[in-house]
Amino acid sequence: MLALIGLTRRFGATLALDGLSFDVPPGRVCGFLGPNGAGKTTTMRAIFGLTDLDAGIVQWNQHPIDLTTRRQFGYMPEERGLYPSMTVGEQVEYFARLHGVPAHAVQAATTQCLERLGIAGYAESKLETLSHGNQQRVQLAVALVHEPDLLVLDEPLAGLDPGGVDSISEVLREEAHRGCTVLLSSHQLDLVEDLCETVTIIDHGRLVVAGDVDDLTTHGARRLVVRVDGDRAGRWAGKLQGAKVSEIDAGAVRLAVDDATDSDAILDAARAAGRVTEFRFERRRLSEVFREALG
Amino acid sequence: MAPGFGLMRRTPSSHVLLVAAREVEQRLRGRTFRIATFVMLIAIAAAIVIPALNNGHKPREIVGVTGTVPTRTRVAIEKTGAAFSAAVDIIGESTVAGARADLRSGRIDLLLIGNTSVELAHTLSKDDSSTKAQLARALALLLGEQRAFAAARLTPVQVSRISHIRPVAIHGLSPARSTGAEQGTSVIGLILLFVMLSQYGTWTLIGVMEEKASRVVEVLLAAVRPTQLLAGKVLGIGTLVFMQATVLVGFALGLAGAVGSDLLKGTAPAVVVATLFWLLLGYAFYSWVFAGAGSMVERQDQVQAIAFPITVPLLVGYVSSITAVSSGHASAYVTTLAYIPFTAPFAMPVLVGLHQATWWEFALSALISVTSTLGMAKAAGIVYRRAVLRTGSRVPWREVLSRPARPRSPGRSPGSPA
Repeated sequence: MLALIGLTRRFGATLALDGLSFDVPPGRVCGFLGPNGAGKTTTMRAIFGLTDLDAGIVQWNQHPIDLTTRRQFGYMPEERGLYPSMTVGEQVEYFARLHGVPAHAVQAATTQCLERLGIAGYAESKLETLSHGNQQRVQLAVALVHEPDLLVLDEPLAGLDPGGVDSISEVLREEAHRGCTVLLSSHQLDLVEDLCETVTIIDHGRLVVAGDVDDLTTHGARRLVVRVDGDRAGRWAGKLQGAKVSEIDAGAVRLAVDDATDSDAILDAARAAGRVTEFRFERRRLSEVFREALG
Repeated sequence: MAPGFGLMRRTPSSHVLLVAAREVEQRLRGRTFRIATFVMLIAIAAAIVIPALNNGHKPREIVGVTGTVPTRTRVAIEKTGAAFSAAVDIIGESTVAGARADLRSGRIDLLLIGNTSVELAHTLSKDDSSTKAQLARALALLLGEQRAFAAARLTPVQVSRISHIRPVAIHGLSPARSTGAEQGTSVIGLILLFVMLSQYGTWTLIGVMEEKASRVVEVLLAAVRPTQLLAGKVLGIGTLVFMQATVLVGFALGLAGAVGSDLLKGTAPAVVVATLFWLLLGYAFYSWVFAGAGSMVERQDQVQAIAFPITVPLLVGYVSSITAVSSGHASAYVTTLAYIPFTAPFAMPVLVGLHQATWWEFALSALISVTSTLGMAKAAGIVYRRAVLRTGSRVPWREVLSRPARPRSPGRSPGSPA
């Protein structure tokens, strides 16, 4: 298990991490969320010893992390970086060796990893000739090739097309199923909700919310989703009383409701505005959890 | 969880070797290394072959002679020619008019009218130092001497005694100065040292900068210590230096032997060995300086500004040493440079070539250089660790050198966490 205990890091006058503590359970995909400047990248760098801490400690299975342990981790930093003029195959093999894969197993591990990510056909191509999406897959291959115990991925789904998101998400689920602990940051909260079993939300270097996605989305006020034909802006909901508008998504108005809310009155108000095409109760979305947590 | 591949616990040195091997492999594959080696081979070939060809081409002077020439005079004329590295052909002329016609047409270069005068196609100017002019002056003196001997009525034995004067011994108060050939070897060595130290230093600087610019360094440092990464790069490029130097020196020695060049005579072999030795010491020292500097920049346009202060001592060492070679004597200033690690790679081989360094002075200079290299490696490691993950503007020298052990910021600009 990955444990971050009381991480504190100051850059000049800015407190990037302010006693941040949280755990990531083994074999789970954990979403690591927070607004820009919350301290996510600094936290991820701290796991790899890439930034010095003013206080706190990072532990793996209850032990401080040394370089030998760290080589059993995989890392995909926010700012992608590999050797542009090296071929994809050479690149992945090189990192496999650096992470301790025995020489006799390097080639097989590389081939298997590239096939798994759908880029085996580019093994002999130079990285710089690949599309952005495929370069991103190579970056993930570098993090995965040694079958790491912990994967730390900074925005791994950014810039991918829907097909790419699906295939990478599937690979990450498989990794978790294998027993790997996956910590990933993202601003694509719907994707995180689909992919992650747990989330940790931080802001100003402090923990705000942590827990299972199911627990966080089923607790708190339910959502009543109402759609009135022809009103994509959800203007009809502006006059409602006793229900707070949580989100308006392409005409679907998401209302935060509790037991005291009169749903019949809401339905009447919607009917008065036009033909009601959708009227159902839903649990909270992760994006709503995120917004509520950050106030 | 047990890793699927049974991951190896690599030793620190094996990571250094992995990094070094990648460096060698990638650069050997690139065109830059091959082109640079080829250009240097051409330059060396030109430096060796052209002087050798000039040495092998002795000027030939044709001397026309009217009247009977005694064997004694003929031998004396040939010896005089040899003194000026000129082969002399003596041809008899039947008439003075015919001989002068030959002189005007260029069939002969000089004309001896009996033993009374020497004639040339054009009047000899005082500052003419050509072989023909020197030969003409020497022959005029020779004929003058023979006339003087005849006027003095010296017997052939007496003339022979005077003609076979044995010079007295010449003793020097200090060891001999280097010859032109030895100087040539020193100059070629200095040029190679300067070119290779500049070239490989820049490679190291740009290599570190590119890893920083491409952000691959962050992925690397997740698995390798900064010192291992830096040492691997220095070792990798150092291996290329050694390989290239071996090829160049082997080629130079082979070619010099084949064309009978003077460049390997006298102390020249010692200069070659000293140059090679100091190339390695110089690279070992400068590579850390360039590597540390490379970690502070991430764009090509920043390279020149960061590299300039490093190239200044290289230039000082090079220019001062070339000047010493040209003058044939190393001043106290150049001797001092031989003990400063920044300039020793240039100055010490020159002292060897000029016979101005004893073995213990050479060893002392090498010891100072090796010790300084260890210190420089440590300093470069600190600079690298503090600067390589900081992106954006160029990291100032004073910040990486004056700050305490903890870095101010791990990335982007200071005070901008993400």
